[in-house]
Amino acid sequence: MKAKTRRTIIKLVIVVVVLGAVVGVVGWYKLFRKVPVYYASAEDHFKYGSVGAEEPTGVPYLIWLVLPRMFPEKLPGPGGYTALGAAWEEGQELPIGFTKMTIGFPRVAVNCAACHTTTVRATPKDKPMMFLGGPSSRFMPQAYLRFLFACGSDPRFNSDNVLKEIDRIYKLSWLDRALYRYVLIPQTKRTLIKQQTEDYTWMNSRPDWGPGRTDMNPFQLVVMKLPDNHTIGSTDIMAIWNQRAHEGFLRHSDGLNSTLIEPVLSAALAAGATRDSLDVEGLKRVNQWLLDLPPAKYPYFVDQNLTSSGNEIYNRECASCHAFGGARTGKIIPIEEVQTDRHRMDHWPQSAADAFNKYAEKYPWGFHNFRSSNGYVALALDGVWARAPYLHNGSVPTLADLLVPVEQRPKLFVRGYDVYDQERVGFVSSGADAEKSGFRYDTAVIGNSNQGHLWGTTLSPEDKKALIEFLKTL
Amino acid sequence: MKDYEPPTPVEIRERKRIKIILLIILVILIAIAAYLYWAFNPNRPVDYADIQEHFKYGSIGSEPANGIPYWIFKVLPDMFPEKLGGKGYAALGFIEEPGKDLPIGFSKRRVIVDRVGLNCAVCHTGTLRDNANSQPRVIVGMPANRLQLENYIRFLSACALDPRFTADNVMTAIAARTRLGPIEKFIYRSAVPLTREALIEQGSRLSFVNTRPDWGPGRVDTFNPYKAIQFHWPMEGDQSIGTSDYPSIWNQRPREGMQLHWDGNNTSVEERNKSAALGAGVTPATIDLDRLKRIEDWLLDFKAPAYPYPVNETVAAKGEALYKQHCSACHDFGSALVGTVTPIGKISTDPERLDSYTYTLAVNQNLMYAGYPWRFSHFRKTNGYANMPLDGIWLRAPYLHNGSVPTLRDLLEPPDQRPKEFYRGYNVFDQKNVGFVANLAADGGENFFKYDTTLRGNNNGGHIYGTTLSAEDKDAIVEYMKKL
Repeated sequence: MKAKTRRTIIKLVIVVVVLGAVVGVVGWYKLFRKVPVYYASAEDHFKYGSVGAEEPTGVPYLIWLVLPRMFPEKLPGPGGYTALGAAWEEGQELPIGFTKMTIGFPRVAVNCAACHTTTVRATPKDKPMMFLGGPSSRFMPQAYLRFLFACGSDPRFNSDNVLKEIDRIYKLSWLDRALYRYVLIPQTKRTLIKQQTEDYTWMNSRPDWGPGRTDMNPFQLVVMKLPDNHTIGSTDIMAIWNQRAHEGFLRHSDGLNSTLIEPVLSAALAAGATRDSLDVEGLKRVNQWLLDLPPAKYPYFVDQNLTSSGNEIYNRECASCHAFGGARTGKIIPIEEVQTDRHRMDHWPQSAADAFNKYAEKYPWGFHNFRSSNGYVALALDGVWARAPYLHNGSVPTLADLLVPVEQRPKLFVRGYDVYDQERVGFVSSGADAEKSGFRYDTAVIGNSNQGHLWGTTLSPEDKKALIEFLKTL
Repeated sequence: MKDYEPPTPVEIRERKRIKIILLIILVILIAIAAYLYWAFNPNRPVDYADIQEHFKYGSIGSEPANGIPYWIFKVLPDMFPEKLGGKGYAALGFIEEPGKDLPIGFSKRRVIVDRVGLNCAVCHTGTLRDNANSQPRVIVGMPANRLQLENYIRFLSACALDPRFTADNVMTAIAARTRLGPIEKFIYRSAVPLTREALIEQGSRLSFVNTRPDWGPGRVDTFNPYKAIQFHWPMEGDQSIGTSDYPSIWNQRPREGMQLHWDGNNTSVEERNKSAALGAGVTPATIDLDRLKRIEDWLLDFKAPAYPYPVNETVAAKGEALYKQHCSACHDFGSALVGTVTPIGKISTDPERLDSYTYTLAVNQNLMYAGYPWRFSHFRKTNGYANMPLDGIWLRAPYLHNGSVPTLRDLLEPPDQRPKEFYRGYNVFDQKNVGFVANLAADGGENFFKYDTTLRGNNNGGHIYGTTLSAEDKDAIVEYMKKL
């Protein structure tokens, strides 16, 4: 009897171990197996490569696919993810800036390119030209988050309904179906609700970012989980091309860092990666590629008769702060002098810089160069034509508008329309078409002021015209 | 081991008997399962050995997601005859061949119960008559010149919304035609509300078509329903009109790599086919690739039928020279411009169809069949209309992408002299002008569709090539084109 019992126990143990091993291996394979994606070209890597956000904050691919079909009313308009202003190349599976990586199952996250790709069209019927490394004037990172959150908290977001939609586009195996039903869909819902109700609640008490802008608050509140200092970090997305020429310049509009790699790595954290998931090698590759990425060349007519006189005016009025080699280019202009909206600068106190410098001490790539400043950086103007709207908060739609006194700048205008205004140099910011697809930017909203930067506003109309013509060529 | 006692003979017999009983039960269970599988197969299409039969009646996989239970499909005209003018499905331009259970373009597949879906032939098989008294010949691969797809959608919606569409009434109507078994009865009863809901949803998603000019026979809006059905985009703000003529689908091999669809938005024959299959109701999960492939392979070299009426060879020879001079560069296989897009500013035909297909739609189509190796990657936004090869052009009337010019001869007239109004849907051939007779409002008790070229999307302007030739030269070109 004893022997028989022992044999039975041994058999049971073997069965349990084997079953456990099978479940473990299958579970690992289906949920955690990491299949890195390598893009041979650095450009493709920039557009579609991972920054390491898929594991902590990626959305299961099939769920990501069906959400716009299940909840089209939660997007700003028709067009799936293009309604969020994403630049999407013909033939490509995902919009630029969206990454797909299999960690157990395919997951979708974002990378640098989602915000840092400019789209430009000559007329509303044209398809957009795309300029990598330029600021997107259309992408709405906040609307993307809000879309996902709204989906996650909708009672219709449940396994039955999501699977019903997935069944319309993909034939899942019974195992994958079970995983989606019992693990992935409920887990995705939980994660989105957690993000909405814990990580991003501050968003609801700040002005809307609108297209082409972001708020710096995620660095402090989501990445580092610092206490809310109740500041407003609204900022225009910046150009990140041509970085070799920017060597030694301060980065971000308020110059919060003096290196390139630290802003690159920290932006990836804000985009959803964590210290442990960050793809440091991949980001170094991006960093390297950005050094020699050429600024976008103006694609429309330039009146060569005006550019040489424009160049003279530029040398006289702008170059000392804005030309490569200018005495103050890439340096801080104190707030008292530039007089632009101060909220973005106030948003980043020394305490935030200190916290960031400690944040990744134990990692080989840790941060050391974050700082606080008392003004805004005088940026080099390479590709400035594509960087509209202007000023750090994107409060002035065109160069022509920037060259007039503050009272004459538009108080209300439309952002997020990428049809180009060749006359005023910037994007079309008024009219029925723009209003239909854009965001109403109100300069009276906190953080949105269009004040300051009065240089050039007293030039004669001819001089302004010539100067603007020259600025197209930068 | 000491505890072990050998079984007595009685016990052995007893165990044997239990084993036999268990075996019998098992066999019965297997038999029941086999019967149920046979009777209520989760997925079994009807197959046809002959390829043309397969094309006309075979399944491409539209039934599982978008099929209508067979008997419901059959009894709808019985239940709501007034919605079809008492003429059954033929009123919608579907072609009913003698001895066939379903109209051409309808396939059958058992998905628990038999369901009916659409296939390629519904839009790509037409009919032709020599005169008002002759019988129609069915020509596969030609545009479905009489099909009123929009009215079919409207009919289904109207049935679903009709308070008489109840399980009781449907079961009564079915009982008048056949005797269902008890299981089938049960399934059908529960299928009625599901069918109603699916049809109401489809009708509501497509309700935007009612704010546009009618498609009429032989036309469809291809890409706007795509936006609504595949992507569920809200259509309130989209005023575009994509209504266009059905194309012929023969002779696909030389078309590979050309810019396909009217606006040339895709260069892959395979992708274009899979996209068209979505229009017939397949989903990426239900598409029957093997059965579709059979059709695709056949269409590669399936040739347009030769012109069956007399041709004046002398005039045609003169026409050939003129054709070579004025038409070949854009329209002949092997020419430089065939299968490429002529910009809208140059071709100047109605721009609505072009504008209805947007960059936004093109990039979203990149997600069709996502997760499969055949995910779409060839859709592009273009800026004009593609130069089509003209094989079998005599059967492809009315002409231009929107079917706005009834005959070839009319197309060779300057736009202001082309017919401003004409009738579509008649299938008697006009041998003189090459096209279908288009000046009759009604015949044989059937009213035809009045095509108004002044409506949005229906403009008959543009493509002015050859319009300045002499009448004699134009006649000659038309004579030659019969032979293409």
